[in-house]
Order: sequence, then C-alpha cells, then structure tokens
Amino acid sequence: MTTTTNVEALRSLLPGDRTRNVEDYAIDGVAPSIALRPDTRDEAVRIVAAANSAGLVLVPLGARTATALGRPLARYDVALDTTGLARIVEYEPNDLTATIEAGMTLATFQQTLATNGQYLPADPPPSDNVTIGGLLATARPGAWRHHVPGQRDLVLGITSIQPDGTVTHSGGRVVKNVSGYDLHRMHTGALGAFGVIVEATFKLQPLPVSTRTLAIECESFESAAEVAYHLWDLALPLRALSILAPGAAEVAGLPARVQVLLECMGGDAVLARCEDAIHREGATTRAPHAGEVRPGSFVTLRALAGTSALTVLRLGVPSSQVAAATQFATERGYVAWGHLAAGSVLVVMPEANTIAESVRALRAYARERGGFLEIESAPATLRAEVDPFDTPERTLVTALKHQFDPSGTLNRGRWQEDV
Amino acid sequence: MHNPFRRSTSTVESTAPQTALVTDLMAAVGERNVLWRPEDLIGYEYDATIDRRRPDAVVFPATTEQVAAAVVIANAFGVPIVPRGSGTGLAGGAVPIMGGVVIVLTRMNRIVEIDPRDRVAVLQPGVINLHLQDACAKHGLLYAPDPSSQRICTIGGNIATNSGGPHTLAHGSTVNHVLGIEIVLPDGRVTFLGSRVPDAPGVDLRGVFVGSEGTLGIVTSITVRLQRAPEAVRTMLAIFESIEVASEAVSAIISGGVIPVALEMLDQEIIRAVEPRLHVGYPLDAGAVLLIEVEGLRESVEADAQYVVTACREMGAREVRTAESEEERARLWEGRKGGIGAIGAISPNFYILDGVVPRTQLPKVMAEVMRLSAEAGFRCANIFHAGDGNLHPNIMFDELVPGATQKVLDLGGQIMRLCVDSGGSITGEHGIGIEKRSYMEWIFSAADLEAQQRVRNAWGTGDLFNPCKILPNSHGCGAGHEAEIRQHLATPGVYV
Repeated sequence: MTTTTNVEALRSLLPGDRTRNVEDYAIDGVAPSIALRPDTRDEAVRIVAAANSAGLVLVPLGARTATALGRPLARYDVALDTTGLARIVEYEPNDLTATIEAGMTLATFQQTLATNGQYLPADPPPSDNVTIGGLLATARPGAWRHHVPGQRDLVLGITSIQPDGTVTHSGGRVVKNVSGYDLHRMHTGALGAFGVIVEATFKLQPLPVSTRTLAIECESFESAAEVAYHLWDLALPLRALSILAPGAAEVAGLPARVQVLLECMGGDAVLARCEDAIHREGATTRAPHAGEVRPGSFVTLRALAGTSALTVLRLGVPSSQVAAATQFATERGYVAWGHLAAGSVLVVMPEANTIAESVRALRAYARERGGFLEIESAPATLRAEVDPFDTPERTLVTALKHQFDPSGTLNRGRWQEDV
Repeated sequence: MHNPFRRSTSTVESTAPQTALVTDLMAAVGERNVLWRPEDLIGYEYDATIDRRRPDAVVFPATTEQVAAAVVIANAFGVPIVPRGSGTGLAGGAVPIMGGVVIVLTRMNRIVEIDPRDRVAVLQPGVINLHLQDACAKHGLLYAPDPSSQRICTIGGNIATNSGGPHTLAHGSTVNHVLGIEIVLPDGRVTFLGSRVPDAPGVDLRGVFVGSEGTLGIVTSITVRLQRAPEAVRTMLAIFESIEVASEAVSAIISGGVIPVALEMLDQEIIRAVEPRLHVGYPLDAGAVLLIEVEGLRESVEADAQYVVTACREMGAREVRTAESEEERARLWEGRKGGIGAIGAISPNFYILDGVVPRTQLPKVMAEVMRLSAEAGFRCANIFHAGDGNLHPNIMFDELVPGATQKVLDLGGQIMRLCVDSGGSITGEHGIGIEKRSYMEWIFSAADLEAQQRVRNAWGTGDLFNPCKILPNSHGCGAGHEAEIRQHLATPGVYV
C-alpha cells in the first residue's frame, strides 16, 4: 500500500469530517499529508494506531507554538490536532488537584481554577495559549521557575496513547505518590517521543492574594547581579527575579538600561515590605528608578521568549553566572535577559546573525560554567546543524525510544536522526 | 522449589569457602571492604522490614570507579546487585531477596561542595540527610526533604525511594530538589543525568531515575538544589476531640488558600505512647492533634498563623497552642519524629502502613480505618502527613498470639484497598520494593505495568539489578501475595 492510500484510509477512519487544512499544520515549511482533529480520546487512539500500523509518521500538535523546538522532523505524514480533547475530567478544589484533557489551553484551565482562587503556577513561553499537552511535552521554564513549583514539579500523573493505540496511565491523582516508575516524568519535556499525552493530573496552588511588579535600574551588569542577589537572599515571597539587558528592558517597556525586574506576591503588608526592600536597595545603589512598574513587563518578555519568528536560545548557567551570561550575549549583539533562581538566560538573535558558529560559542560559554544551551526556536537548517538539545546521555534516550516507539511513528527525527 | 521469601537459617558456616566472586571483588575494592563470611553478612540480610535473605557478598566501595568495578564483576558472575544506604527502607528495597552482591554506599559520605551563591550542594550518596541539613544551615540554607529517618537515612536512599517527609506538603518530594545525578548503569557505564543547573533540556532521565528504588542504577554523586531558610516560622498544636474532626480541619485549612509547610496528625494512641516518654506537651486526653507549621516573611507568617488558628477553632479545635520559643518548637517536632519509636515501646509488634488518599477523603477514610481495626480487634495508632493525605496507620499486635499475624496482614490489605477505592495510592513515600508489588495491580492496568517494564528494559537491567522489586510477576520472582505483604511487619525503631 502506498503512503497516499494509507492516508486516505485515515480520512475515512472517523465519523463526520475530522480533517483540517494541512497548510495550517506545516512545520518548518512542510505540510503533512493529512491533519485530523479528533473529538474524543477513542478517536485519537484509532488515528494513532492506524498511523502506526500503516508506517506513517504522526505529530501530535496543540496550540502549535513550539514547532521550531527540537531537530527537524525526518518525515511528517499525519498531524494530530489535540485541541478537540479539552474537557475537565475531574476537579476537586478542596484537594487542590485537577485532571484535564491535554488539548485544553492553559488559559481556559486557569480560568476554571481562578473561580476557586487557585491556579497552576506555570508561565511557559509564549503565553497561556499553549495547551496542557504542549506545556508538558515542551516543559519550558518561565520567569516563575524555582520561585514557585512549576509544571515538572506539579504533574501527578499522565495518560498517554502509545503508538500501537494502547492507552496507559502513570502516577495518580493524589499529591504524593511513589508507586512504580514515574512515566509522567519521562513524558515531561520529551516532545511527544514516547506517546501522545491525552490527559494529565496536576497539584494546584492557591492564587496569590495579589502581585506587584517592581524594577530597579542598575549601573552595570555587575551591580545588577549584586542587587538581584541581595533581594534573593532576603527570602521575599518572589515569583520572579530577573536581570534584563538594556535591549530586553526596552522590549519590556522599561528604560533601556540594565534592570532588575521582579514580581512579589502576597497580602498588603507583605507587598509593602517587598516594596520597601526594593526602595532601600535602590537608595543604596543610587538607582535612577526603583519601584513599581507596569505589570505587563514579564508578559512581553515571555512572548518574546516564545516567538517562533526569531532564533531563541536558552542558556542554563549557575545562578551566580546569570548576569555575566546576559552581558556576554548582549555584547554579541543579542537581546538577552536571565532568571536568577532558575539559572536560565534567554537569548534572542536577529535572523542575519543566526549562524551555527555563534550558537556554538554561546554553548561553549554555558558549558564552561557547568551549564548547557538549548535551541528553543530556530530555522530548520540551524537545528539540523547544531544539536538543539545539549544532553550528553543519548544512549538511554535512544533505548527508551526503541522500547516505546519501535517503528518511529511519533515525531520521528525530533531527538536524533531517525529517533 | 526455591522460595525467595524464606528466612535465613540461624546456623552460620564460617568455614564457607571464599569464592572467585569474592576474590574479584576484593581485587576491585580492597580486601577489607568486602564481607563474605556468613556471620558477617547477617546485618545486610534485611532493611527496616522483616524479611531477609543472605547476600553472597557485601562490598563497601569508596569511589565511583569502585562501584562500577563491583557492578561489572557481579554482572560477569551473573549474580544480582542490590544497592544499599543505611537500610532504613520500609518496603524491602534493600533486601537482597535473590542473593547476590549488596553494594553499600555509606563509605561515600562526603559533602563535596556547598555553593551558597549558586544554592547547590554536591554530595556523595552515603551522606546522611541530617548532615546535609546541618551543613546547609551554616549558610542560612536548607535542603527541603526531611524524612523522619533523617538522622540516619542517606541521600542516596532518599533518591531511590523519592523520599518525602513532613515538609513535602509545601516543598515537594526529593525529585523536586535533585538537579543532577551521576549514576553507574547496570553494565558498569558511568553517566550523568540532569545538570548542575535546573531544567536540563531533553528527556528528563533524572526524573525517571529518582524513585526507581535501585533498579536502574547506582547513584554515585548527587547535585541538589538548596533554598534560603525562611525569615520566620510559626509552629502550632491544634487539639481535637477525635481524629475525624481533626481530619475535617485538614481540608478546611488547605482549601482556604493557605498551604502550611507541614500539617501532621497524631492520634490518641500515639499521644499516649509519646507523651509519657518524651514529655513534649501533647495533652493526654486529646482525641488527636494537628502539628501545623507556617513559614515566610514575618508579616505573612503572622497572618497565616492567625488564619490557621481561626480555621482550627471553627472546625472544632478545643485549643490551639503556638510554640513561643525555638525550644518549644523543637519539642513539638521531637514528639512527631519519635512517634513511631514510641509505638515500639508499647506494643510487642506493629504493622506500619503507607497509603495516600485525596485529603477530602481523610475524614471518611480515617473513620473506616478505625472501624476496620476495632472490628479486627486491634489497636491502631496513627501518625501521618495529613496535609498530603498520606496515612500511616500502625496496627499493634503480638505475634505470639496464634493467628494474630494473619489477621493483621488481612487488615492491612483491607486498609490499602480502602485507600485505592477512595481514589488514592498504595504508597506515598515508602516505595513499592518487594512488599507492595502485588498491590501494583490494584492501581495500574496490565498495559500500564508493561509500559513500566519497558523503562526497565531500556535501562538494560535485566533481572540482575535489584531483582524482584517494584514490578509484580517479574521473571523468576514468583511469590504469593501473603508472603509479600509479610514485608509490612515492621520492627521497633523504624521511622516514617
């Protein structure tokens, strides 16, 4: 049977018309042969199993905000749009846990949770428009990471469809559980390599009473590092603490200087205390400005981190190196900012400058400091030339892939060629 | 037929020959660091559970290279490998149930580095949890996971079981604090998973490894994340007439928007065991107490503590006391951490359970636990992580009473089933080990378990690496359900 007839068979697999315009699902300029949007888990199971037995390569897609992540696909036949699977399966506010289908957007999920004064503390790039499945499959940290527990820490269980159509669960719905191997951790950050995530259970947090965004202008990266460290050491109830190079500050709507940008959360007394600490810090360093800024600053930076129009790199460096790494990238003409606690520095490169050599230089810089560089978004040519990940251990990943997806049905090529 | 669950006989033959396996191990790690005489092996037959099996040899490596060498040798001889820390595990994870080589990591007990600026610590697997805490405290930092066995358990063991502790409620389990691990794989290869920096890109092999109970490899170096100690802490003791009322209060506190850092329950049996021995100030006539801790900035701690007091009173607390000094706070915690030991003093035997339920189910489940225990004719003492819905019923009995052990095992099974039927799980922090393999089928389908087996296949451990742990019906590990749950029988001196 040829690929074309296999694809035609998929088309008639489901009732009604579940097909979508393939052009809307193009990845790296390549459209699939067919795009399907199932309405139920059972329909999704049938699509995955059929693709697997027909030897087709299937790519699960949610909001399609992170399609430039990972190596270019080796082949792309079927787009599986998960956004039709978007129910809340179970939500018990008093348990602070919720089970939801993977095609729901984070925004919709947060709206439901907010009615009970709760939320999932995740701020992935580019925005809350990502789906829950995408949130987990990409596991991209945001500015909140390591101030509040993130998606990696809060996922309690995952239900996924294996390539042969088998549905498997791991973990559970309770907040503490050490039964068996944590397959949900294996799926988290795996870019759909081991199964199509269709449902997840999360531990939730109470929404902060209120939040406040504050900034301190700094003379230099060195003084920004000092200011940021000083504030971090005060054990304030922060949700974000970042160092912005002038270019990033400008994007965030702040004066184009080195800035320490932070978000505090808590009640009035706590916020007053935070603000006071920032004023003191500003006075000590003679900052031209230290105080509240518009709350949208983090939102704007988050969107830039998640753009797929530009090349975006995430450097992981120890916290003590965040300011220096931000400076290093800035001096090379890139827009950069870093999150202190998570040790992540975001670097946005103008298209013309995106050459493999520059990326390798930044990677070498991060590695020398015990860190790594991940390509979050870049043209396919660059991602083919430079490994988008920076993981020394490949043998185990390959072995897992062969165990879970021996025919290479899911996202073939994303990890390594033909894996 | 060979029965892997038989007890070792008491006769020891110190004239047993030194085997080629032992000779090779000695060449790898030094003669003094290998035990092989039967009388020397006795201490490594068991952990904090009761079943035992004599290993063929015990080695004490001092370096990653020595661990790798021991693994390669055991592989060459085709004998099982069982990693071991302090042996405080409550699920039989360190019991060499199929014999083989026990690799004890306690000589690798060095804190290599504490970097207060990067807030990371690098340590060897044999470092005792409390030693790390103490070393961090000098820098105003803390390592959050604090299992009750922290005075003796190792961080390597904590990684194997993904340990929790009272402060898991706010800070998460071990996996949330481990950044990177160096491991020796079953074929002797050494690799590093994760990074010194959080959120290394790619498949989270680190996250898969933590909690794998020594079945996927041996940890030889650990990089953990530290956090700044809070500015203020407030510890409260809320006193209730019954465990059911206290359970209702647990959900009420948490759903009100304040998550304490710890929320522990001690029932009347525990109070009556603890108070006469430790004099920590628990009222003897209380039905149950909740030990509640909040932390943060002075301003928020004040408000949160006030909230907790009000919530407890509204839910029927007779009294809510607040620790007025660090000394008083330490005493309240001493009662909690010494609780299980105190049961050992009032009952010849007790059977310790570890189950989890959604916390809204706690009142119903606790009432049912008490009903089932009374019906079976046993006293049951409860001391547990109520905020997480993580129960630890301790059934007290005397194994010399004919038939008692069997009845206790049946009761334990009923309580585990109750947890599962209430939407919960069969273990919150102790692990599956050998003791709970049979229960795995209560919470996972055949397909789920097959997927878990694939992880093990990918790691290539075959049947040699900590065999017969976690997964039910592993090749060559057949054992009856009853034989397996006998592992639950704990000895005095264990911790939760």
